[in-house]
Amino acid sequence: MSIEVRSVSKSFGSFLALDDVSLQVGDGEFVALLGPSGSGKTSLLRIIAGLEEPDRGTVHFHGEDATRRDARERRVGFVFQHYALFRRMSVFENVAFGLRVKPRAERPPETDVKRRVTELLKLVQLDWLGDRLPSELSGGQRQRVALARALAVEPKVLLLDEPFGSLDARVRQELRRWLRRLHDEIHLTSLFVTHDQEEALEVADRVVLLDRGRSSRTAPPRSSSRSPPPRSSSTFSAR
Amino acid sequence: MTLHGRRLFRSAGAFAAVVALLFSLHSSSGHAAGVPPDVEILNASYDPTRELYRDVNAAFTKGYRERTGTSVTIRMSHGGSGKQARAVLDGLQADVVTLALAYDIDVLADRGLVKPGWQTRLPHNSTPYTSTIVFLVRPGNPKKILDWTDLARPGISVVTPNPKTSGGARWNYLAAWGAALKAGKKEAEARELVAGLFRNVAVLDTGARGSTTTFVQRGLGDVLLAWENEAHLALAETGKGRVEIVVPKTSILAEPPVSIVDAVVDRRGTRAVAEAYLRFLYSPEGQQLAAKHHYRPRVPEAAAKAGRAFPAVATFTVDDLFGGWRAAQKKHFDDGGIFDSFFVNR
Amino acid sequence: MSAPRPREPLAVRLLLIGLAFAAIALFLVIPLAAVFVEAFRHGAGAWLAAVSEPDARHALKLTLLVAAIAVPVNAAFGLAAGWALGKFRFPGRNLVLTLIDLPFAVSPIVAGLVFVLAFGRSSLLGGWLAGHGIEVVFAVPGIVLATVFVTFPFVARELVPLMQSQGTDEEEAARVLGAGFFTTFLRVTLPNVKWALLYGIVLCTARAVGEFGAVSVVSGHIRGATNTLPLHVEALYNEYAFQGAFAAASLLTLVALAAMLAKAFLSRHAGEEAP
Repeated sequence: MSIEVRSVSKSFGSFLALDDVSLQVGDGEFVALLGPSGSGKTSLLRIIAGLEEPDRGTVHFHGEDATRRDARERRVGFVFQHYALFRRMSVFENVAFGLRVKPRAERPPETDVKRRVTELLKLVQLDWLGDRLPSELSGGQRQRVALARALAVEPKVLLLDEPFGSLDARVRQELRRWLRRLHDEIHLTSLFVTHDQEEALEVADRVVLLDRGRSSRTAPPRSSSRSPPPRSSSTFSAR
Repeated sequence: MTLHGRRLFRSAGAFAAVVALLFSLHSSSGHAAGVPPDVEILNASYDPTRELYRDVNAAFTKGYRERTGTSVTIRMSHGGSGKQARAVLDGLQADVVTLALAYDIDVLADRGLVKPGWQTRLPHNSTPYTSTIVFLVRPGNPKKILDWTDLARPGISVVTPNPKTSGGARWNYLAAWGAALKAGKKEAEARELVAGLFRNVAVLDTGARGSTTTFVQRGLGDVLLAWENEAHLALAETGKGRVEIVVPKTSILAEPPVSIVDAVVDRRGTRAVAEAYLRFLYSPEGQQLAAKHHYRPRVPEAAAKAGRAFPAVATFTVDDLFGGWRAAQKKHFDDGGIFDSFFVNR
Repeated sequence: MSAPRPREPLAVRLLLIGLAFAAIALFLVIPLAAVFVEAFRHGAGAWLAAVSEPDARHALKLTLLVAAIAVPVNAAFGLAAGWALGKFRFPGRNLVLTLIDLPFAVSPIVAGLVFVLAFGRSSLLGGWLAGHGIEVVFAVPGIVLATVFVTFPFVARELVPLMQSQGTDEEEAARVLGAGFFTTFLRVTLPNVKWALLYGIVLCTARAVGEFGAVSVVSGHIRGATNTLPLHVEALYNEYAFQGAFAAASLLTLVALAAMLAKAFLSRHAGEEAP
């Protein structure tokens, strides 16, 4: 499912976070939204997810205006920067949550929930940790649980807010590659926010730059060889 | 406003509805407590009458049921006399008030809760029993406190409640003032005596019973100014040898009056019971119970019968020396009155 | 790294520890024990007779009724306040935060008097209510109102800072996953603050049961009707009925001790909830 953001503006008090931003993510595309902190990229992600309302502009999913649609009905998978795992629930219950809160008519039977969660935990290679609480996991493990939880409801779009931001360098490297492979497997339309240029270029098909509330330009698509393009090809410099 | 903001207001509405529901539940449960008796009346009284009315209520309830077949429950509320009058003004649903002094009922009459001329509705100024003010001292009276002038002596520690809240305390105050006048002293000298007395006050409780507890239980002070009945009760409760009663040569004739609260009895339809209850106080049985609890019976035959139990005191009344309670209240106890000047100058 | 060794000689340390224990014994243990000694001075039979005497029973029932209304109301309010103030920024938020603490800052007697002023017969509202036969002050509703007022902040004070520090991430995650408001509240928000909520409820209950000042002002002190247990204790004490007073006081003390134990147990768990 494609995402299209048209001329979105958003301010918080007197602070203009987004100023007439437009953006397009094609069906099955993996796009990085790159910008320094305070550039409004998280706000844009939250507007797409329906957690925030734009002051002006519209959000379209698959060509349909979804600006007024509640976050619950957007079928968006969201991975929060600090994972936002339910601290009182086991890993298993975290992943199962989206299935269990479906309206009665759509709610899968318990056996299906079990199967689906086990599948997802296998996909993120954590099936042996189902009984643990989030607080008992490492950062990288939490990140993967958050991803499994977002995927459980079969979203049409996956949004990731600084997905590697709070991990150490080695784990970050691994997870990046893993996420890229995962996308190649499931081809889910994905948009991820980062302030790390290298990360953006390595993982994404395409990079969109956002600076001071404006989307300035779109970087060239990711090369098929997956080697990062030479630094000189971008005027943007990572912090 | 964000989507969440709208939710916030929606749920605030739901919360308000729940609270309203809870309140409507409890206001109905408040009336359902206990088995409803045939008639229930509330007597708002001052502090030291607790024991008296426990006996009076039992005797009246029994007699009334025998006579009329109606069972009456009499609820009691006790506190400083002024405080109780204030509570009735603020809505305490008392059918009858049995307070320490006429002024506190005058206040109710001024606000239309009691009909004017209430004091003439029952015999003897609506006062079924009287009392006087006596001293309670430590065993052997070590500070040699015999009369009112001794209370103002330096080094004496006096316990009395606050005249602002306690009717008994106003009697104490006027007793000291009047005794000085009766001893031939001038107004200024009387004022000096009372000022000296209040300079010696160690603890100023809000009610008579609180003062008794302070003196007897907590052991504070050399002398307690108390109702005669309160002094006898303290003596009986604490056992002989712990405190002694000293009766001054001259003291005040304290007239604690009673009245029905017209506004309440008319609304609740309890006038007949309330009137019967107050008239019972004048009956031989009621008078005898008053005497038993060391209140001086007012009906002459009963007074004669009880005579020996009460030592003779030369008494004066508020009307004699102070021109009635309203005048006394205005001059001495209202804001900016003489009593205030003692505390401002302290 | 080894812990620094205390430099004070043994004797000084023993003396200080001894003093601490002596102070605890003097101020806490002895008075508490005295309550029970007095209450049981004439044997368990006399104690039982004193607490099952009709006025005492009524006082106990009234106290429990008042607590049974005040505590859920304040728990609900505390949750609503914790949620609204902890999770959202809105105009007037700081004012509400300050006002929540007002009942702690105000003397109980003032807390009682405001209700007499607002609902008393001499006030507009009170006059109107009286005209419709509704008694508020000097009746059970007034006692409930005063108790709700003085116990207002207990739950909210526990929840506001906790919910604020926990943030809204988990609620947002639940929403994106398709959970509705009540589902999110019951499955995510409430479990996250469960222990702090219980902790606040225990404090609130202890105060609701033990409140004297504000309730004393609005009660009217009608025996067997508007006397709560603490007021009943005072009334009995003033009537020289010491055994009865201490028997009733022993019930209040038991509530306090139970609250203290519950508090110790809950405060351990409540600590886990801080993020």
